[in-house]
Amino acid sequence: MEFFFIFVAIVLTQNFVLHYFLGICPFLGVSDEMEGAFGMGIATTFVMTLTAIITWNINTFILKAFNVEFLEYVSFILVIASLVQLVEMFLKKYLPELYETLGIYLPLITTNCAVLGLALFMVLREYNFLESAIFGFGAGVGFTLALVIMAGIRGELNEEDIPKPFRGTAITLLVAGLLALAFMGFSGLVPT
Amino acid sequence: MFEPVVIISASTMAGLGLLFAGLLGFAHSKLKVEENPEVTEIEDILPGLDCGACGYPGCHQLAKNVASGDAPPDSCVPGGEEVAKKIADVLGMEVSSEPGRIRLAVVHCGADDEEKQWVGQYEGVESCRTAELTTGGNLKCEYGCLGYGDCARACPFDAIEMVDGLPRVDPDACTACGECVETCPRDIIAIEELDLAGDFVKVACNSEDEGSAVRNKCDVGCIACGLCEKMGPDEVFSVEDNLSRMDYSNYDEEADFEMAIDKCPTGCIVEFPSPEEDSETA
Repeated sequence: MEFFFIFVAIVLTQNFVLHYFLGICPFLGVSDEMEGAFGMGIATTFVMTLTAIITWNINTFILKAFNVEFLEYVSFILVIASLVQLVEMFLKKYLPELYETLGIYLPLITTNCAVLGLALFMVLREYNFLESAIFGFGAGVGFTLALVIMAGIRGELNEEDIPKPFRGTAITLLVAGLLALAFMGFSGLVPT
Repeated sequence: MFEPVVIISASTMAGLGLLFAGLLGFAHSKLKVEENPEVTEIEDILPGLDCGACGYPGCHQLAKNVASGDAPPDSCVPGGEEVAKKIADVLGMEVSSEPGRIRLAVVHCGADDEEKQWVGQYEGVESCRTAELTTGGNLKCEYGCLGYGDCARACPFDAIEMVDGLPRVDPDACTACGECVETCPRDIIAIEELDLAGDFVKVACNSEDEGSAVRNKCDVGCIACGLCEKMGPDEVFSVEDNLSRMDYSNYDEEADFEMAIDKCPTGCIVEFPSPEEDSETA
C-alpha cells in the first residue's frame, strides 16, 4: 500500500512539474507537439527511473559506506549526464526522427532539475531501494502526464483565435498556471 | 600529506567516472551512427550562419538534404556562387546558376521622418512589434513603416540601416534570407527577384486604403490612380485592392520606368540602389 501511495503522490498530488515547478524548461519547450511531448516524456521517464535506481545504490553502498555524502551532487550529476548521453546515442541510432524533434531539449535533460530533484528528494526522504525505484518511475510518469496534457491543450489552442497580446509564451504560461491549479484538486488523495 | 577523506573522495569520483566512461565508451561502439561523409564535408563548406534562407532550419539540415539530393547544391543564399561551386565539386555535379537576377529585400513604404504623420505619442519599448501589439502603432497610416527598426536588428547580415525613419537595404549585403520579412509586424518588406541589368524600381507603399483615405494619412502613398499601369512598361504595374503592385518577373533591362516615375502623382514609385557593379561579376 505504501508503494502505491508513493506512486500516486508523485504522479498526481505532488507532480514534479505542476506541484514542485521542477523541469519547467522542457515542459514549456517541447509541449507544442503531441509526438515530441510523448517522446520527451518517455526519454525522461527512462532517465529518471535509472537515475533513481543507480543513485540509490551509489548513495547507499559508496557515499554512505565511505562517509563522503557531500559528494552526492557531483556524483548524481555524473550519473544523470551519462544516462542522457546513453539515451541520446540510442535515439540517434534507432529513432532519428524523434531525435530531431527533441533537438536541444534532449541534452537539456542533463540539467533538468526534476531529475536531480528526484535523486535529492530520494535521499532526503530516506527511501529504500524499491521505494526509490517506484518514486523514480512515478516521477517520470507524472512528468510525461503533465507534458502530454499540456501538448493536448496547446494543440487545441492552435485552432483558437487568441487575442494578439496573449499569443505565444503568454498563453502557454497561463495554461501552465491553470493546469497547476487543476492538479491542486488532487491534494488530499494521499494521506501525508 | 592528504587527509584520508580527500583521498577517499578523489578515488570515489575517479572510480565512478571511469566506470561511466567505460560504459559510455562501450555503448558508443555498439550504437555508433555512420554519418554520410559528404554531409560533414558540405557542412564545412557552408557558411555556418544557420540563417534559414535556404528554407531548412540550419546548415546541418541543408547539408543533409543536399547530400541526399533533395536540395540543389546552390541552395545556400548567403554563400552564393562560390559555395555552390564547391558543393557541386564535392558531389561531382554541375551548377545550373541563373545569372543576371538577384533576390533582395524590398521595403514597400516611402514615408520618412518628414513625411510620417503621427497620431498621439508612443512612449513604450522602441520596437515596431511592441508598438503594433500594444497601441496598433501610432502612425496615421495603418500600413506604413513605424520606423523603430525591428528589421534592422533582425538582419543577420547588417544589411539594413535605419535612415530618416525608414529601413534602407544594402543590396550588396542582403542575401534575401527573409528574417526582416518575418519580423516586420506590418508586412512592409518583401523578397523580390530583380533583373541585375534593369532599373531597380519599387512601389514605395503598402496601403490598401482607398485613394481618398490615403490622401488623408500620407502624402507619398499610393492612391491607386492607375497612371503607372498606363504609363509604365507593359504588364509590370497592376492596380489591385487600391494598391499598385509590380510584377518583377515581367520586366527586363529594356523596361523604361521614367514615365511611370514622373507621372505618379504622389511620387511613390521610386528607384532604389542596385548592387555595386563589381559584385555582379563576382
